[in-house]
Amino acid sequence: MRTAVQRFRLTLTPQRVLAVMFLIVLAYLVLVPLFVMLQETFTVHPMERFQIPGSMPGDLTTAHWERTFFGPDSYAFFYRPLINTLIVAVGLSLLALVIGGSLAWLVVRTNLPFKGLISNTAIIPYVMPSWTLALAWIALFKNQRLGGQRGIFESLTGVATPDWFAYGLFPIIITLALHYFPFGFMLIGGAIRNIDAQLEESAELLGAGRMTILRRIVFPLVLPAIFSTFLLTFSRGLGTFGTPHFLGGPVREFVLSTSLYANLIGQRPGIGYLAAVVMIALGVLVLYMDHRIIGARRSFVTISGKGARAGAVDLGRWRLPLGIGVLVFLFSVIAVPIGALAIDTVMLRPGQYSLENFTLHYWIGDAADRIGLATGEYGILRNSQLMGALGNTLQLASVVALICGVLGVLIGYTVVRLRGTVIAKLLDQLSFLPYLMPSIALGSIFLALFAVSRGPIPSLYGTFWLLMIACVVSYLPYAVKAGIGAMMQIGPELEEAAIMAGASWWTRMRRIIFPVQKSSYFSGMLLPFISVTRELSLLILLVTPATQLAATITLRYTDRGWYPYTNGMVLLLIVIVISATMLSRRLMKTDLAKGLGG
Amino acid sequence: MPLIRLRGVAKHFVGDVRAVDSLDLEIPDGSFTTLLGPSGCGKTTTLRMIAGLEMPTDGEIHIGDTLAFSLERGRALPPSKRGLGLVFQSYALWPHLTVRQNIAFGLEVQHVGRVELATRVEEVASALQIDALLERFTSELSGGQQQRVAIARVLVMRPSVLLLDEPLSNLDATLRMDMRAELKRLHAETGATIIYVTHDQLEALTMSTHIALMREGVLQQFGPPLEIYAQPANRFAADFLGNPRINLLDGVVDDGAIVCSGLRVPLGPVSAARGEALTVGLRAEEVRLGTTATAMAAPGRVESVLPTGSDWYFRVRLAGERRPIVTVRDNDAATLREGDDVWVEAAPSPLKAFDREGRSVTATGGKAAPAAAPRTTVAEVAW
Repeated sequence: MRTAVQRFRLTLTPQRVLAVMFLIVLAYLVLVPLFVMLQETFTVHPMERFQIPGSMPGDLTTAHWERTFFGPDSYAFFYRPLINTLIVAVGLSLLALVIGGSLAWLVVRTNLPFKGLISNTAIIPYVMPSWTLALAWIALFKNQRLGGQRGIFESLTGVATPDWFAYGLFPIIITLALHYFPFGFMLIGGAIRNIDAQLEESAELLGAGRMTILRRIVFPLVLPAIFSTFLLTFSRGLGTFGTPHFLGGPVREFVLSTSLYANLIGQRPGIGYLAAVVMIALGVLVLYMDHRIIGARRSFVTISGKGARAGAVDLGRWRLPLGIGVLVFLFSVIAVPIGALAIDTVMLRPGQYSLENFTLHYWIGDAADRIGLATGEYGILRNSQLMGALGNTLQLASVVALICGVLGVLIGYTVVRLRGTVIAKLLDQLSFLPYLMPSIALGSIFLALFAVSRGPIPSLYGTFWLLMIACVVSYLPYAVKAGIGAMMQIGPELEEAAIMAGASWWTRMRRIIFPVQKSSYFSGMLLPFISVTRELSLLILLVTPATQLAATITLRYTDRGWYPYTNGMVLLLIVIVISATMLSRRLMKTDLAKGLGG
Repeated sequence: MPLIRLRGVAKHFVGDVRAVDSLDLEIPDGSFTTLLGPSGCGKTTTLRMIAGLEMPTDGEIHIGDTLAFSLERGRALPPSKRGLGLVFQSYALWPHLTVRQNIAFGLEVQHVGRVELATRVEEVASALQIDALLERFTSELSGGQQQRVAIARVLVMRPSVLLLDEPLSNLDATLRMDMRAELKRLHAETGATIIYVTHDQLEALTMSTHIALMREGVLQQFGPPLEIYAQPANRFAADFLGNPRINLLDGVVDDGAIVCSGLRVPLGPVSAARGEALTVGLRAEEVRLGTTATAMAAPGRVESVLPTGSDWYFRVRLAGERRPIVTVRDNDAATLREGDDVWVEAAPSPLKAFDREGRSVTATGGKAAPAAAPRTTVAEVAW
């Protein structure tokens, strides 16, 4: 017994103390909410009293489960949205894979021209808010169905777009795929780049043709990256809210996330929480399948190529047309949407694209002007509400990025240092768990947990703190992944050498660990910063008038049909995220792809 | 007095993996002691436990008069308080610092004054001939230069014990030869105790004053290199040291000799019961090749001739039922060619013979020689 105590005392190292601390905090922020949410699906909420005869608020009930799965209207608000969700998630993932994968192969393995430009710009669609393309789609293709205004396309050609093209699942899949294809580009591109050229050369020496090499050597080696991409886009697609809200709303086509939102802020919170539970179950299922199918193969990805780069595939006479085609594609998913949104903000009367209709009213107009769509509304740049929300967004994004960066380094450090122990495995998995949770479901979890005070933790609903905690937990997987990756690269000796020199733990962190992996550290901060800036799905349930954010406030303007304000705000957000990406790439040599990865 | 004593030191991992098992070792003051063994034998773990980077699961470690670790007494002196310097296999130079900053780091952490710090850095840098590189980043240096910086970073702290973890394994062959000589010079000049980890038996033989041979976490033999070479405590020790590998021939005792496939190896003063099965260890230089038969010789045929320039090595297949192949170094037999018939004669000095369990029946020291016992010197071994 005495020696057991001694042994424990001797092994009380900083990383162990840190690990236990993180475990407790994460368990409270990740595991507890899951149970609370599950509990909410069995609870009668105040406004549900009348829907469930003879019940009192707080009673235990199975009514939500019965209504959702077997009720007379369950098709309308559960099964149909569920089917729509699966169609959207599968469709967008496949499309994003095809686009991202082909682009990756073209850039990494062929003699495509303009490679530098293409690599640099291909990431931008992901950096922009995911619903930018949805808004741009509306600006371009909306038809008379939306209150008599015509889109740019109809104004120019006079051809009315059909409903299925303008709204609903089709544009949702297209616009989301165009947002998420950079995942595939980065992950698959990285995997292709890492394949040792000698593997392909050996196959070539054995007489394999180019297609055989691609099919039998390259494809299997890239397969883990393909599955990772699929998993990532699928689970993001499950939880995305903005795009289905903007494009599905007008034709009342719901997916799980929009149905969850409608129920949760409406009269049926229990059913809303249940939708979140289903979404999380789907997310876990996808990961499980990914694990089963790919499992052992995952280790292939880490093969690092030392051999000479394989000769680039010659595209022959297709070289220039393909290069130009890719540039046109990127131009049309980046510049065209931005242009379409921008035009909408300077047209006084919507749908009339002419010079005499030009105005800066929506940017700098006075509330007393009494022109345009919204009377009594200041132009964006003079609008204290909008600018206040933008300020909140920047503040939130900076704080979250800082916290995530620090946590990423510290958790990455503890996990790598305690590698092989149970505690490291637990910490790793617990910080990865939010990755599986569709954003809006994660948001509803925090709503459930912090709506009322529990024990010593006060109710945080309506505070900045709640937004901050939700964002930190949501982006922790990326930060931790970056932190672990960086720590794995430097090995323990660098720190041990400092231990031998007598440096304290704090000195080691400050003078060795942190400076050595500075660039990964900033990469781990950049992704949360960008993501929070344009976050809608996660926060839409958590914001209150006092804590409005730039992204969430645009929803109120869209709902009233005041598109110029929405579009203007989105443009401001795009400017912020793109300059943040460029700036940190220039200053810190950050690499967004480091924070992703499967 | 940095005499380093390990008593019952063990490192067990979960699942009963024994990296090091109850190790008793006494490393003499001022010695160049090599921890030698194949990979996974626990030598690096032992070094790291002495350094304080790894926590033993049992035992005690004394460094000089201070108790550095004791599980019993709940004591684990932090690495920096043990008066040791450790050079890592990967050198572990900090890539974000210049050579000067790398060397100065430890002094800064210990709050050494600016003037003294600068002098000490310059001193050690010129001693290791890297004074011209002080402002460079470590990534701009060659392997040999990085090695010197790693050593300088440790020496600047003036440790009384220097720990080196396979420091030459990342260098190419010629540079490795130079660095061996340089490390030996360093040992002579500083007078520090050096503990050196390697899996290369040649490195151990050429550099050390003492070798601790380990296998699967257990100490096999401890003593001066030539003693272990001449009197291996067991089959493993005989087999691990020496290049080319020792010839191990199975034989039976008969009339003052051990007979192996017709070859009679004289027992000399060693007593063994007639009919006892023993394995004889013959170094290549202990075997002679002749063209005429003698009472002790066995017939054989030359399979291959392997001249190295300075020496002639032969692979000879003995005639007889079991037909073992024997490696021979005999510079007087340079005229022999492949296919020649020869007579093989053994003249071991001293005789190395092992019983069925692989224990030596001829070595004076026992297996895992107790560290406390006074060690014989090379001169004594000759007797």
